[in-house]
Amino acid sequence: MGGSAVSAAPGPRPRGPRLARLLTRALLPIAVAAAILVVLPPLWFGDSPYTTGLAVEALVFGCYAVGFNLIFGSTNQLFLCVGALAGVGGYSTAILSDKASLPLAAGVALGTVSAAIVGGLLAWIAVRRSLNVIFTGIVTLVFSLAFTNFIIGQRDLTGADTGYVLQGAATDLADDRVGGYYLFVVVLVVLLIVFRALQLSHVGWAFRALRDDEVAAELAGVDVARYRIYAAVVGSAMIGLTGGLYAYSLGFISPVTYGFAQVDVQVLIIVAFGGMGTLLGPVIGAAAFGFLDRALTDSGQLREAYYGAFVIAIFLFLRRGVVPAAVGLFDRLASLRRGAQRVDGAPGRAER
Amino acid sequence: MKAVILDGIVLGLGFGLLGVGLTLVYGLGGVLNLAYGEIAVFGAIVVSQVMDRGAPTLVAAGVGMLAAAALSVLLDLTLMRPVYRQTGEERTLLGLLLTLGVAFVIVGLLNWKYPTGALYIFVGGDPISIAGVPMAAGSVWASVITLGVAGVLLVFFGLTTFGRGVRSVIQDETGARLVGISPSLVRTLIFALSGGLAGLVAVTRSMSAPLTVTAGFDLTTFALIVAVVGGLGSVAGAFLAGVLLGIVDNVSAHYIGEYITAIVLLAAAAITILVRPRGLLGR
Repeated sequence: MGGSAVSAAPGPRPRGPRLARLLTRALLPIAVAAAILVVLPPLWFGDSPYTTGLAVEALVFGCYAVGFNLIFGSTNQLFLCVGALAGVGGYSTAILSDKASLPLAAGVALGTVSAAIVGGLLAWIAVRRSLNVIFTGIVTLVFSLAFTNFIIGQRDLTGADTGYVLQGAATDLADDRVGGYYLFVVVLVVLLIVFRALQLSHVGWAFRALRDDEVAAELAGVDVARYRIYAAVVGSAMIGLTGGLYAYSLGFISPVTYGFAQVDVQVLIIVAFGGMGTLLGPVIGAAAFGFLDRALTDSGQLREAYYGAFVIAIFLFLRRGVVPAAVGLFDRLASLRRGAQRVDGAPGRAER
Repeated sequence: MKAVILDGIVLGLGFGLLGVGLTLVYGLGGVLNLAYGEIAVFGAIVVSQVMDRGAPTLVAAGVGMLAAAALSVLLDLTLMRPVYRQTGEERTLLGLLLTLGVAFVIVGLLNWKYPTGALYIFVGGDPISIAGVPMAAGSVWASVITLGVAGVLLVFFGLTTFGRGVRSVIQDETGARLVGISPSLVRTLIFALSGGLAGLVAVTRSMSAPLTVTAGFDLTTFALIVAVVGGLGSVAGAFLAGVLLGIVDNVSAHYIGEYITAIVLLAAAAITILVRPRGLLGR
């Protein structure tokens, strides 16, 4: 499986109207999601800073979830260090732009690169030691906890538990929540397009093969180790970028912003709920839990208990996630209409 | 130095007991019970409630352990059933997510009902001298209890027929069924044992420092790390890992400093997993 994404693209290269049709089909779900996200604030919550704040948070979790989905959903590596990777991005951005007085964009870029390197290293270790899902999960969990302790330990640099105020943060973004909202809509759409491009290239083909059956994929000539590291690097970069920008839009970060209990648990639930390895699963999951967050605002102390009950209920009844369930339903309806003709999911059709 | 290591062993025995409950359930049911720490906290709150009603400490501790065991069995008989019907990684993931949900429910309900709930069992008496090192009576008693239970568990799993039956199910479910052992019965009993152990850990921990409603998360992560480092499914491994990590923790806490300690401890755990992915005593 050598060569660049372009040369290895499946089938003859489509031209003219076919290319346009293919592009439309590939990007349509993203465009629809983006359109809905863009019109939400004026139609619904734009005048309530509180709800807008929750929406920003949901978007940020959606972005984390896209990265996590690339790592876990596509290549079966249970990275329980989403919070820590985002923290690598966030603290690097904060410290580089404040203390080393780099421009913000450079800070965010370096934060993204650091997260990508850390994620790639973790995947490299996991691949070298051929750790299975649980062991990868534990090693990355250990890394998360170590990272939190490291941040708390470096009081002079990070402000420990008290948190860290970004002097260079754009106050216009921090004050105007709608601005932050649109920033993360853009980020989410960009990440989704990257995810989609990977899905449709030879990389996505390799991902599907190794997810279905690792041994068979290896025998068929897929370099499982390489694609795992590849997914981890790109996914971690996505998470680091989001973490850095989130620090910048909040103007204040603390270990809790990137804590394991606060980030990883939520992201895992979002991706599992939406449907692992699917394009829009993370967005749907993040939206659902955003709504849940809003709905549970008034339940005070019992909030966590309701949240847990909801988690149990969805995983009892929707085991494979919303998107696969919806696709399955759609397929069944379609095959009813067209007789016994089999209908594949969207990625398969786009490839043909 | 002697005192530091001794303290580490005391701490480690507690870690070990925590790991055992988790490791057994994983070995038998293929479920990493993320609600484990919350079950321990539930037991602790029951103990403190019973003590508030004027019951003697021993009775209260017994009631708390039974309550934790009952909660654990309830989990096995209800929510874990659909998990057992899955295989491989689907089972692992569904088990993780469902027990995570249960953890949220338990901690949410406890926070709501007893927001300031905590268990502290005060053990009076002068410090007891062990190998020339004076140690607080509470932690000495806690380690005596832990050591006793550890001994009983090791003898039980090594020598008794039922204990061997349990290990046979861990090794080969079909084979166990062929020789007349019911895996689901064994599983339920082990869930009960695991819950009881969680309750016991809550009690022994509260003998040296108060155990609050929010302690569940830390308990779960420690149990998880100890169980994996020791080798999932291995009782002796969990104790060995617990004691080793306890010593690493205490020695580095004493000579290096608080936050670096946690990192040293976690790095030790990570290196063990990487060098021996099956765990210290795993198969």
